[in-house]
Amino acid sequence: MAFKEYRLGAAMVGGALGLSMCITILMPSFDLRSAVSTKMALEKQLSAGFDIGFGYADPLLLGINRPITVDLETDPKTGAKLDPPIRAYVYKPGVPMPPNIRHPHDLGKGVQDLSESQGQIGAVSGSNHSKGSQEGVVFTLALGEFNGEELTYIENASVTKGWTPDATLAAAGDKNTHHISKGKTEFVVQGCWWCHTLLPEQTQDWQAFGAPPYLGDFNGENPTAFGSDRKAPDILHVASRNSSREWMMMHFFNPRLVQVNSIMPRFDYLWGDKDAQGNTIDYDKWRAEYKEYSEGKRTYPPEVPDYAPDSEIRALIDWVLSLK
Amino acid sequence: MLLKYLSAKNEDIPPGSAAIFFGFSAIFWFVVGTGLGSFNAAKLAFPDFVTGTELFAFGHMRQVHVLAVIVGWISMAFAMTMMYMTPALGNTRMWSEKLGLWTALLWNVGLSSALISLWIGITSGREYSDFAWPFDLVILFGVITPLCVNVIMTIAHRRTQGIYITNWFFGACTFMVGIVLLVGNSPEYFHLTGLSEAYLTWWNAHNLLGLWITPVAAAIAYYTIPKLTGNPLYSHRIGHMHFWSIVVFYSTPASHHLMSSPLPEWLKSFASVEGVLILIPAVAFVANILLTMKGKWSMFVENIEIKFSVTGVFLAIPLNMQGGFQQTRSINWFIHGTGWIVAHAHLALLGMSTFLEIAAVYFGLQQMLKRKLYSLALANFHYWFVLIGFCTYWISMTIAGLIQGAGKIYEVPYIDVVIAEHPYMIARWIGGTMVFTGNLVWLYNMWMTARVGTLVPDGRYAHELAYER
Amino acid sequence: MAWKMDNPLYSLSDEQEQQQILKMWGEERMGGLIHPANNRLPFPLTFLIALIILTAFMLTMPIWGQRPTAAIYQTHVELMNSPEVQKLATPEEKMKFINNEAYSKADNALKGQLERHPIDWYDLQNLAPHIIELQKQTKYPLDNFTVLGDKVVLANFEGNFRADGVRERKQPWWDKGYTIDVFYVAYYCLWMFIMIKRLPHFTKKPVTT
Repeated sequence: MAFKEYRLGAAMVGGALGLSMCITILMPSFDLRSAVSTKMALEKQLSAGFDIGFGYADPLLLGINRPITVDLETDPKTGAKLDPPIRAYVYKPGVPMPPNIRHPHDLGKGVQDLSESQGQIGAVSGSNHSKGSQEGVVFTLALGEFNGEELTYIENASVTKGWTPDATLAAAGDKNTHHISKGKTEFVVQGCWWCHTLLPEQTQDWQAFGAPPYLGDFNGENPTAFGSDRKAPDILHVASRNSSREWMMMHFFNPRLVQVNSIMPRFDYLWGDKDAQGNTIDYDKWRAEYKEYSEGKRTYPPEVPDYAPDSEIRALIDWVLSLK
Repeated sequence: MLLKYLSAKNEDIPPGSAAIFFGFSAIFWFVVGTGLGSFNAAKLAFPDFVTGTELFAFGHMRQVHVLAVIVGWISMAFAMTMMYMTPALGNTRMWSEKLGLWTALLWNVGLSSALISLWIGITSGREYSDFAWPFDLVILFGVITPLCVNVIMTIAHRRTQGIYITNWFFGACTFMVGIVLLVGNSPEYFHLTGLSEAYLTWWNAHNLLGLWITPVAAAIAYYTIPKLTGNPLYSHRIGHMHFWSIVVFYSTPASHHLMSSPLPEWLKSFASVEGVLILIPAVAFVANILLTMKGKWSMFVENIEIKFSVTGVFLAIPLNMQGGFQQTRSINWFIHGTGWIVAHAHLALLGMSTFLEIAAVYFGLQQMLKRKLYSLALANFHYWFVLIGFCTYWISMTIAGLIQGAGKIYEVPYIDVVIAEHPYMIARWIGGTMVFTGNLVWLYNMWMTARVGTLVPDGRYAHELAYER
Repeated sequence: MAWKMDNPLYSLSDEQEQQQILKMWGEERMGGLIHPANNRLPFPLTFLIALIILTAFMLTMPIWGQRPTAAIYQTHVELMNSPEVQKLATPEEKMKFINNEAYSKADNALKGQLERHPIDWYDLQNLAPHIIELQKQTKYPLDNFTVLGDKVVLANFEGNFRADGVRERKQPWWDKGYTIDVFYVAYYCLWMFIMIKRLPHFTKKPVTT
């Protein structure tokens, strides 16, 4: 080939790559942008908040500046009984807004319209979306009708019902408070997703692991952390199979307590230094006793300590139990 | 030693300095990466091995192993080969040896800090781009961009008329990998969410392999095999066909990694056809290299660099056969998410690509240091340990993956799959440890070469001289 | 860039240009890496490439690995509560009867689908209410729905537009992905052909010195 054709060749490399990117990125982006958020997506998004991975609000991924999920049995403003209980998502002052409050278009047709008109999500007060709002916001989910279709949308309960973050947290109480966002961060940081995938496959394994996700089940999620290398059961619907907090505690502290053949690592370090009563957890003693148990010198394994309310393991179990 | 040149004038820096810096860094990261791999495998085989500490938990170490190997060993070995092959093929000097040295320094510093931050848990949670985005930017603009500028400027200032196929690959791939890192990490830069995030994560992961690791490894073989055998490349035509089919076909099938996700069906159909077409560059590459070996097959036994290179080319055959077919709808449902994929990924990175790079680093370091390899015996030890270790790993994980796939479709309780896989997890650990041991020996061998290897006279090639040990 | 079109299968560049290139190749020094590397694509290689392209399309045809549509279980759902089935004692017997009935009524295409997507009694119990529900609506026919786990959802295929303006949700013969592939592969083949035929014909060897 003649030499001036080298220049043509370089242009062709660019052209081929550009064409390939048009087909593989630009064209599907139209399909993906038109996905309408399902209820699952809205729940995941509101409970997770803006960032799960690295971000400005929590650069060291310690689980700070996170939304808190609560189950309300009484109305935080009026004190009236709520039956059935309502799940609310509390964004304290300074907690960044969830992604689709910033970009409502990504909620999808219908959900966006309802969230804006009925749910008042545009009226987040004193809001700088990346830094959160000054007074804080409480979101809930609500059902509405759009063009004859029933859709779940986001409601800004601070505006529609006058719920404030502090009153909402107080009304729920610690028992009904779930640190789901912090828990998902633990899931990512501790690398749970290197073995436990979040994507039941569309072909065969739904019998064991539940329904595969649909288009629109992910809107507003970042990272999706599907995982690719499954060495353990898929956990997208784990709480539908097992919702026992006690089982989770034993399993996280030492998986061999509940499943002798498990190859899961121990996550006892997530308990931190103190247990629920504020006593120091003596890990060495526990391990020594567990060793005796595993060697058959004890009949029962040592007791798993209760976790402190602000421990990492609490958040992680809160998140796992939210995976219905 | 080399650091004194960082502030020297470009003309005063001896050619090959950057290649040497990159070469030893790459071997160092290879030792670190495979050491981590062996450690992680031990944890999978024996879950209570080093337990109860956050930093040494499997979930904190796994991604450090992956990225130490990809960004440390493989990519730095690529940079090393670019630093000596590009000027050699253009009959010129590196455009800027100094820029090369600075790139190598920044690469080591940036990668160390990125890996430490990843280790303590600062992550984006996206597979193969786990680093937090500031580190992604360091890698894109501090490492890949200067490398790309240096390589393309060297090619532009060549003193030959033509551009050899290796340089086509080098120039295009350093450019394309920059685009991939820019676009593929956009979910982090611009906080994209949902299925777009998932898709771009795998677009990035796929194209890192497709437009960087696989083609550059092949480009290296296009240099080492003709150079060491003395046979001219069988056909430049086939080489170009390889190059163009990489750009055209390998950049497209990203969505085959997410066959079981709710991506648009047309995109999956498109990707699965393109995925099979990856066999075109593969067939072209393997045919071209093996035809080049004609008449020189004795070197496969006698010459350590050819031994590594040709083994890498042979490993490309099962690699692409798996890669082409395992992603179609009809097969993917069986092996998706199982150990089969882990085996396949190691076949690409530790098998095909690593073997080709090891050969190029052996050859390049001897050339640039102008010293004969310290010990052939140690090099052979390295070869056999890496090969047997890799095969043990590959075969055991493939079997484990098939067990897992069968368990998946026959609805076997998961724990029974875990029990059935256990022997293969131990085999995986033994294989990984053998690779690690081999690499330690390699580092020692290369270090001794730099210190006491016999000097190669001007105008001669290291491989023409006899070994002394 | 002198082009010559009279014998494209032989070469696209004229004699003078071919000589220029050969001269350049003869003089080029790249450490002995290339010359005289003007070999043809070996015929087996060309054959393999054609085979790969053919395989790529054949192997990824929609019939392989396609998920089941709700329509294929229609007969199962109809038979499920029939007196014949209720007479049978165990789920296995019931399912065997239903499968045999459904299979004998099916045409060839459906038979293949049924073989690839077996279903047991309990799964059928889960799916049946969804399918019955869907039979009541008229917007989409049953084969526009995919069986996904224990649920039935609208497939995300983009098919032909129907007369009433609604888009069918089943894979059309011109599936967008495949259509793009055809053009994409054609573009590649054309470009490769031009590139290779612009080089001197393989019978011409550069003179090496």
